[in-house]
Amino acid sequence: MRSLFRRTEVEQELDEELQYHLERQIDEGLAKGLPRDEARYAALRALGAITQNKEACRAMRGVSWIENTMQDLRYGARALRKNLAFTIAAVLALALGIGANTAMFSVAYGMLWRPLPYVDADRVAVVYMSYFPRDFRFGTMSVRDYLIWREDNRAFENPSLFRTLRMDIGGNIDAPEQVQGASVTAGFFSTLGVQPLIGRTFRVGEDKPGTGSRAVLSESIWRRRFGARPDALGQTILVNGVPSVIIGVMRDSFRFPRRETEVWTNLPLNPPPRYGPWFYRGVARLKPGVTLQQAQAEVNNIALRMMQRNPYYKRLTLPVLSLREALLGNSVKPALLVLTGAVGLVLLIAVVNVANLMLARATVRKREMALRLSLGAARARLVRQLLTESVLLAVMGGVTGLALAWGGVELIRAWNPGNLPLIDSVRLDWTALSFMILVSVSTGVLFGLAPAFESARTDLNSAIKEGGRTQAAGQTRGRTRATLVISEIAASLMLLVGAGLLLRSFMNLRAVTGGFSTPSRQILTMLISPGNAKYNDVPAGTAFYSEVLRRARNVPGVEMAALTDSLPPDRQGDADTFTVEGQSLALGEMNPVVSVITATSGLFQAFRIPLVKGRYFTEHDNQDSKPVAIVSEGFARRFFSNQNVLGRRIKHSGPGSGEQWMEIVGVVGNVKYLGPAVDTDPAYYMPFGQKYYTRMFLVVRSSGDAGRLAMLLRQEIQSIDPGVTLAQIGTMERALSLSVSQPRFDTMVLTLFAGIALLLAAVGIYGLISYSVAQRTHEIGVRMALGAAQADIVRMVVRQGALLAAIGIVLGLGGALALTHLLRTMLFGIDVRDPLTFAGAPLGMIVAVLLATLLPALRATRISPVVALRD
Amino acid sequence: MSKPTDLVQGTVDLLILKTIAIEPMHGWAIAQRIRQMSNEVLQVGQSALYPALHKLEQEGWIEAEWKTSESNRRAKYYSLTRAGRKALAKEATQWERLSAAISLIVRTA
Repeated sequence: MRSLFRRTEVEQELDEELQYHLERQIDEGLAKGLPRDEARYAALRALGAITQNKEACRAMRGVSWIENTMQDLRYGARALRKNLAFTIAAVLALALGIGANTAMFSVAYGMLWRPLPYVDADRVAVVYMSYFPRDFRFGTMSVRDYLIWREDNRAFENPSLFRTLRMDIGGNIDAPEQVQGASVTAGFFSTLGVQPLIGRTFRVGEDKPGTGSRAVLSESIWRRRFGARPDALGQTILVNGVPSVIIGVMRDSFRFPRRETEVWTNLPLNPPPRYGPWFYRGVARLKPGVTLQQAQAEVNNIALRMMQRNPYYKRLTLPVLSLREALLGNSVKPALLVLTGAVGLVLLIAVVNVANLMLARATVRKREMALRLSLGAARARLVRQLLTESVLLAVMGGVTGLALAWGGVELIRAWNPGNLPLIDSVRLDWTALSFMILVSVSTGVLFGLAPAFESARTDLNSAIKEGGRTQAAGQTRGRTRATLVISEIAASLMLLVGAGLLLRSFMNLRAVTGGFSTPSRQILTMLISPGNAKYNDVPAGTAFYSEVLRRARNVPGVEMAALTDSLPPDRQGDADTFTVEGQSLALGEMNPVVSVITATSGLFQAFRIPLVKGRYFTEHDNQDSKPVAIVSEGFARRFFSNQNVLGRRIKHSGPGSGEQWMEIVGVVGNVKYLGPAVDTDPAYYMPFGQKYYTRMFLVVRSSGDAGRLAMLLRQEIQSIDPGVTLAQIGTMERALSLSVSQPRFDTMVLTLFAGIALLLAAVGIYGLISYSVAQRTHEIGVRMALGAAQADIVRMVVRQGALLAAIGIVLGLGGALALTHLLRTMLFGIDVRDPLTFAGAPLGMIVAVLLATLLPALRATRISPVVALRD
Repeated sequence: MSKPTDLVQGTVDLLILKTIAIEPMHGWAIAQRIRQMSNEVLQVGQSALYPALHKLEQEGWIEAEWKTSESNRRAKYYSLTRAGRKALAKEATQWERLSAAISLIVRTA
């Protein structure tokens, strides 16, 4: 051990020791009467060769494997430094590959595996409800359903209920604001297993009716409105007009049910007079020993009982999802898997590239290897040294790639496509670092193995002889390199096809406006909440909104203003069933649930939603006139077979709802309210004058960019009443863009990967062809001397590259055909075997290959036959 | 037949171990003592001695300490470790058996 860490010291000691021996020998000589120099000479002779002696001592001390490895590393570093061009090329390729993989790993790990910041988070489940005709797979339930579930529940501890809603927060010094909030039962926080930062969460029984309203704040709103002061506890704020006492503050790391949830209030479980409203979801912790499947089975039985008790519930299910699945949503996982696979492919291509580079270099280093072998180096030692070199190279690549990975992860965190709460789990930390090191070492061994064994097998005789141009060895090596390049091309073609498919799908999505023809940048929307409880009263509220519209129309630049409770493409306000006059429905039978929109007359004109039949709403459709409704084209076709629509009457909600009959006065074009990728569902509209909601979207249309109007509109509207809060201010353009934010992300990342892969493959083939040209210099010189034109030479070289590319493309297409079905859920409006993409990607590859082979080809034409023949 | 150096190396180890079993000494003194005790028959040269000493130290059978020698200079003194004593006993027994066996064959016929 000492010999490892105190090298110089040990060497000095050895010198001293031998010196002492020498001196004693000299003394002996002197004692015998010899003169000094003769004595010294005799002593030295007796002692033998000191260097060899020292060497022998060193050998005896033994060289540990650590010392060997350090020696290998030093040697490897020197070799890499000497061949800087190669090293840089390899490190860059590896940095791209390993860096991208590390970033992707951080994302995948954070989303799929990193333990959530809740106690035993994998025991927590979210419970939904789905039934015909309200067919959202992970839909919501009503309080009555919850009470039934809670009564019969045995699989869960303490089932809790929650709903999200927007809350107007007011009542302390700051201006009122609208935030995302949740109303929860008393057991909510303990079910999730989280502790507050300060204060407390809800106690058992605080969801009983009659309990005062209490609020738990998030850290962010606490900082914002209370300056993070502990005396916020006990203060009262107004939540949607209701005075609520602040009892606690939650850490920022707790973000449930939504990322933006900032206030949680206690949900009073008033015994509901009827079923509905269906706003709620359940969250509960599995009892010890109970699995998710068992819980699902039990809950399925409860669903059966629910159906027995309520004939309107058909095909009722209570899907149970683990907390993580619930947080992930159903579009993230497939995308993550595809992207992880893609990035793995990129790494493979990078590794193949570097392996190719190493094989090329191995040829150059043949003589060096042969020399070392002949000097007595063990072949195993040689292999180990070469492997150390390649691992060193890989680790250098990995460390360089770390900067890339960090940048990538930060970008993803900032971007947060899909606005997932889980984004907080995505970070570059020790797990990512360990992953990077693991991948680096593995890839180093992977691409270093073949060249290392190759080198160690060097036939000494032929290698040391001049040139070492053994035909056989050269050919196999050339074939190996060609095969590697073909695999690079095939793999990057697969990625190109995938990226192409996603790109076309994304463009399709972007082309979806959602049924209106006003240019999206000309429309500005915002969510208005009057803030004051007095506006819950219909006359006061109507007057308020009339004032809103009046002021909005007076703002210069505003062409039209309207109110609505739903916005395309994905902000559905309400969904409900309906009843058609004259339709006979059996007990328990219901019409399907469709989108229901409440809007003022100007909405259709503002959006330019086409009028198919009849008329739009007017100002005269109010409380004093007959109740009317407008239906969408799809509605008319589906429920009236497009005949005799106008004049028929429908009723909002189910048969027993007590709503009035509305006469259908118009049919309008279809508009999407459920998202750009979802089929447009039928919809019906009710006039705002006849159906009042406190919170409405204001829609204004301008002739130019509507975004400029935002500030002025804000001022105007907020000045109507100090309690007014505005939220979600933005143009339709922005809304459309946001609605495709996740597909945009997936597409961009896959395209990036495909681009990197293409670059690497092009570099790979460039390297191979360049090398081939260099090898064939003599042959090319002969051809040129024999009269070959430059064009012929170029053709010859390019043909070589084209052949490789052709094989690679065919293989890549085969692979793509087999694998693109994995993208099925991510594609919109395009088939997984889209011919255009499958034709276009190879085209792109051919162009890249041509460019890559053209350079060496042109270089080949500049070979002087005289010089070539001389060699 | 094993390489001559192997045999010699093994016996040098044994001689060194035995010599310093009595008292710690430096390399020069060990060589002198071996010469004396073998009646000038066995002369262990520097090229055999020091590699052997370093190997024995590596094995953990002997340990070294720098002290001032009788000639008032610094020298590296070697002494037996506990493991070394055990090794010495084992090597000595083995040597006895080996040499007895060889002698048996050589003396007859």
